[in-house]
Amino acid sequence: MVSTLWSNAVALAQQPPSPVQPIQPPSGPSELGSYLPIVILFVLAAAFAIFSVLLGPMVGPQRKNRAKTEAYECGIEPSPQPVIGGGRVPVAYYLTAMLFILFDIEMVFLYPFAVSADALGLFGLVEIFLFIATVGFAYAYVWRRGGLDWN
Amino acid sequence: MNTAPVVPAVTTSPSASFLLWLLLLVPLLGGIAVAFLRDAKTAKLAALGIALLEFVLVIPTWIAYDPAGSRIQLSSSMDWIPNFGVHLALGVDGISLVMIALIGLLMPIVIGSSWADKLPEGRSVGGFYALLLVMQAGMIGVFAATDVFLFYVFFEAVLVPMYFLIGRFGGPRRQYAAVKFFLYSLLGGLIMLGSVIGLYVVSGDKLGSGTLDWATLTTVISQESQATQTWLFLGFFVAFAIKAPLVPLHTWLPDAAAEAPVGVGVLLVGILDKIGTYGFLRYCLPMFPAASKDLAPLVLVLGVAGLLYGALLATGQNDMKRFVAYTSIAHFGFIAVGIFAFSSQSVSGAVLYMFNHGLSTGMLFLVVGMVIARGGSTLISDYGGMAKLTPLLGGLFLVAGLAGLSLPGTNSFVSEFLVLIGAYPSRPVFAILATIGMILAALYVLWAYQRIMHGPVRGDALLGALKGPGAVAAPETATRQGIKDLDAREIAVLTPLVVLIIVLGFYPAPILDVIGPSVEATLHSVIPLGGN
Amino acid sequence: MLATVLTAQPVPPADKLSAPAIDYGAIMPVLIVLGAACVGVLVEAFLPKHQRWPVQVVLSLATLAGAGIAMAVYLGDESTPKNGVITLAGTLAVDRPALFLWGTLLVLTLGALLLIADRSVEPGGAFVAEAAIRPGTIQDRAQVAGTGMQTEVFPLTLFALGGMMVFTSANDLLTMFIALEVLSLPLYLMCGLARRRRLLSQEAAVKYFLLGAFASAFFLYGLALLYGYAGSVKLADISNAAAGTDRSDALLFGGLGLLVVGLLFKASVGPFHTWTPDVYQGAPTPITAFMAACTKVAAFGGMLRVLQVGFESTSWEWRGVLWGVAIVSMVIGAVLGLTQTDVKRMIAYSSIAHAGFLLIGSIALTDQGLSGTLFYLLTYGFTTLAAFGVISLVRNADGEATHLSQWAGLAKRSPVTAAVFTFILLALAGIPLTSGFVGKFVIFSAALQDGMAPLVVIALIASAVAAFFYLRVIVLMYFSEPAADGPSVTVPGAFTTASITLGVIATLVLGVLPAFALDWAGSGTFAFQ
Repeated sequence: MVSTLWSNAVALAQQPPSPVQPIQPPSGPSELGSYLPIVILFVLAAAFAIFSVLLGPMVGPQRKNRAKTEAYECGIEPSPQPVIGGGRVPVAYYLTAMLFILFDIEMVFLYPFAVSADALGLFGLVEIFLFIATVGFAYAYVWRRGGLDWN
Repeated sequence: MNTAPVVPAVTTSPSASFLLWLLLLVPLLGGIAVAFLRDAKTAKLAALGIALLEFVLVIPTWIAYDPAGSRIQLSSSMDWIPNFGVHLALGVDGISLVMIALIGLLMPIVIGSSWADKLPEGRSVGGFYALLLVMQAGMIGVFAATDVFLFYVFFEAVLVPMYFLIGRFGGPRRQYAAVKFFLYSLLGGLIMLGSVIGLYVVSGDKLGSGTLDWATLTTVISQESQATQTWLFLGFFVAFAIKAPLVPLHTWLPDAAAEAPVGVGVLLVGILDKIGTYGFLRYCLPMFPAASKDLAPLVLVLGVAGLLYGALLATGQNDMKRFVAYTSIAHFGFIAVGIFAFSSQSVSGAVLYMFNHGLSTGMLFLVVGMVIARGGSTLISDYGGMAKLTPLLGGLFLVAGLAGLSLPGTNSFVSEFLVLIGAYPSRPVFAILATIGMILAALYVLWAYQRIMHGPVRGDALLGALKGPGAVAAPETATRQGIKDLDAREIAVLTPLVVLIIVLGFYPAPILDVIGPSVEATLHSVIPLGGN
Repeated sequence: MLATVLTAQPVPPADKLSAPAIDYGAIMPVLIVLGAACVGVLVEAFLPKHQRWPVQVVLSLATLAGAGIAMAVYLGDESTPKNGVITLAGTLAVDRPALFLWGTLLVLTLGALLLIADRSVEPGGAFVAEAAIRPGTIQDRAQVAGTGMQTEVFPLTLFALGGMMVFTSANDLLTMFIALEVLSLPLYLMCGLARRRRLLSQEAAVKYFLLGAFASAFFLYGLALLYGYAGSVKLADISNAAAGTDRSDALLFGGLGLLVVGLLFKASVGPFHTWTPDVYQGAPTPITAFMAACTKVAAFGGMLRVLQVGFESTSWEWRGVLWGVAIVSMVIGAVLGLTQTDVKRMIAYSSIAHAGFLLIGSIALTDQGLSGTLFYLLTYGFTTLAAFGVISLVRNADGEATHLSQWAGLAKRSPVTAAVFTFILLALAGIPLTSGFVGKFVIFSAALQDGMAPLVVIALIASAVAAFFYLRVIVLMYFSEPAADGPSVTVPGAFTTASITLGVIATLVLGVLPAFALDWAGSGTFAFQ
């Protein structure tokens, strides 16, 4: 048992260095400096968020009503029996949100495609239409099966 | 260091090798066919016919085997799973031939003895006989296989019909007994599987590609180191010790034998358990000679322990079937001592005992079954003075009992005598202890016989059976009332056994001639190591 | 300073992107399955209710046949490289093990699909008509009585199958993760679609989803750590990076650990098994059959590739841990199986014990280990498929009668069903002349060859313990008197009969004549690139 381990270890140690050199992690202060813009972006974003949250209560009028204290103040009435802590949201809302995310992500893919459309040529064009079609199938299913009916 | 056997290990003799395949396939296919017979009478007749055909087939096989010929005869082999070097290989040596002959002989007797059995309600007669025949095929396969994998397949496959025979057709505690039997055997089988895989792996290291061919393995594995041999030996040994059964692993046998229907019990103690002792001879000794020699004292201790323990418990038993089971445990201890004493007399005696035990204990079980069939109780205390009512049954009970205690003139005497004189020079202590076992045998057999057959007619079973329409106790009316002596069928079933017990008691040469060379060949691997 | 930093940024090259080379012949089976799944969604969208079931059944069966033919054509082609191709920009490796697993998945899915399609055992099928109806309401009771069903099950099954196929051939961890999600999400959903015992079914779905999401998160975490270690998600790169470097082992083994937890969860290896009994019990039985057979194949297929391609070079550091996991799984499966009173839960624990055996084969990093595990997956899949097929037949007025006491005396009422189930149980116990025995033989011999003798001994003892609870069912069926108000055995329709027959015949054939399947399983190893 031990001898097997040892011979394994020896064999490993004797292996030549691997031919495939993976991406080297960045090293040295100058390389780290390249992350600085991201840090700055984080700081700015955080500062803006904190600033907005603090500013609102300070400068805005404080007139509360029932609609405004709902969890989702977006015009959709929660289900008739509110449970403790905020009431329910119709399931159709989630469906819509889901569909929105679906098409959102489709957009995310369309942008890089557009950038590389030339390089990818006809293959890319066919591929992206297939991609749109797959999302379209799901959409067709939701539509035909009444997922978009709001009753 | 291993002096090669004088004779070539295996010769292929295709001319007669089909006989073994026939022996295997006739009961297998016959059993499947019988399962579909709806009519009870037809099923019984068909099963009996198949069993008799099988017995007839044994005769040319016996003739075709040449005791002076090679180690394994009538052999044939074809690829089965080439990936593991596994073959469908059959062949017999003297030892397995004798066992196959015993199967062929006992099977018609078992079927004849079960003829009038009342099966539990709702169980089909065809199913019972089908399982019996399928089990016969499995047992033939165990003894005829010359490929370890194939042997293992049959070894395990035999469990399934036996499990159903006990569990579906047995006595009141049949579920418990069947499960216990199956689990014990399966545990042993799985431990053996570890060793079988070990054989494959070790032979693969040695030969380049693994094999499970018995003849190849005996030459390859017997050269392996002591440690390797010991581990592999233990795997096989535990399985065979459960099967045989040797003492700490024996507890399933009394339950299984007590709950099994009588005919099934005969097969259980008469043949199925012999797989264990046969395994010692066929697998443990030739493949692991060094380990066998090393661990022989352990086996001898277990054998003697079983011999004495079985005898003591048999003496104390009140249940007749359990009584027979414990006598069997004692006898298996004796056989184990004979095998692991490593002298040609003792091993010949042990092999002869394997055959004789099938006859004598098989007959004892049948006779006990006939007693139970009359009185309806399995307890010795429920009987008394039965010989007055059924003199013939009483007499045959005595014959079976005397064969069980190895009275000179019965078959068992020859085998026990051979074991003892063979074991004494090298293992005097064990031989002396085994002799004590023989004395105890006289005690338990005669005492049981006396309690059941002699004295005044008494006991709940007998008196209950006598209390028919008009309660009477006089022997002459009893025969008319409920308890009859043996009928023609029962006499026909017992006659061949009585004849063989007496003939082989005086003239065992036919068997000894057949097993002699195989026993020598088996010992060839052990004796050079100073096993004797 | 900011300005200098910003200007120092190199502008990335605009287009290094080009279309990847695709070996369409190799991936055709996957394309067919996923394409047909999309068509299945359209069928759901545009066909009227009463036409959906027949169309979906025909479509699904044709898909499996088509994928099978495509695979056969690819294999039969002389120009097909023997050691596999890496295609789709290095994301898919279509090598012999992958093709074996694809074939296994296709056949097992065929069996499961036949169970799913059956509508005669349970009038209307095992699936609910409207999954959104709340359990216990009047509408719910009405839909139990009706014969409608959610035919979405068919495309969902095909999607899951597609995911499984990609999972077993994924050459990098990212593809593997996506495939994991593609195969899991339909399963979560299908678990909740049982027609009867809606609450139990929904509980199963939620439990499976939540725990599955955890497992996916583990997988993803592991993936991230490994990327941090090797700078690549490709298995071959990770292996190369691990061989002879001085990088942080914490990242490597942390990553591997988390990754393997995700895989072990999917494969229901103890101690990551806790979902298995509940989900197997609650899910509609055809789906349980599909999960038990196919998910196990996919999960162990993926595990084999990850361990053999990605981590073979470091095996002596992690193998001890997986030894422990295998032991725990076998012990949990065998011991807890003893205490079960529900047939489906019992088979679930049996699957946990079998997962332990499979893990033994998976960590024997040899060709024998690979081919043995592949073969075992094939055999176990067929047996378990047939087992659940039979379970779906034993019913009373409330649906399936899965409590063990209800199986008492089954042999008397339905000898054929009892005989078939006995055969299946014997196969699960590993009795010779069944595929279970040959499977055990190949796995244990591979393990012994690779120096894992103690593990083999424990596995054999666990097998003996597990045999007890299989035996218990046989005892109940054959040796006990039937209960007065016991269940009846439904006469199976053509679909269920076909499925059970497929499983039983395969179990028998692979037990008696396993050579061809063993040859196929051993015909090649993983492509390393």
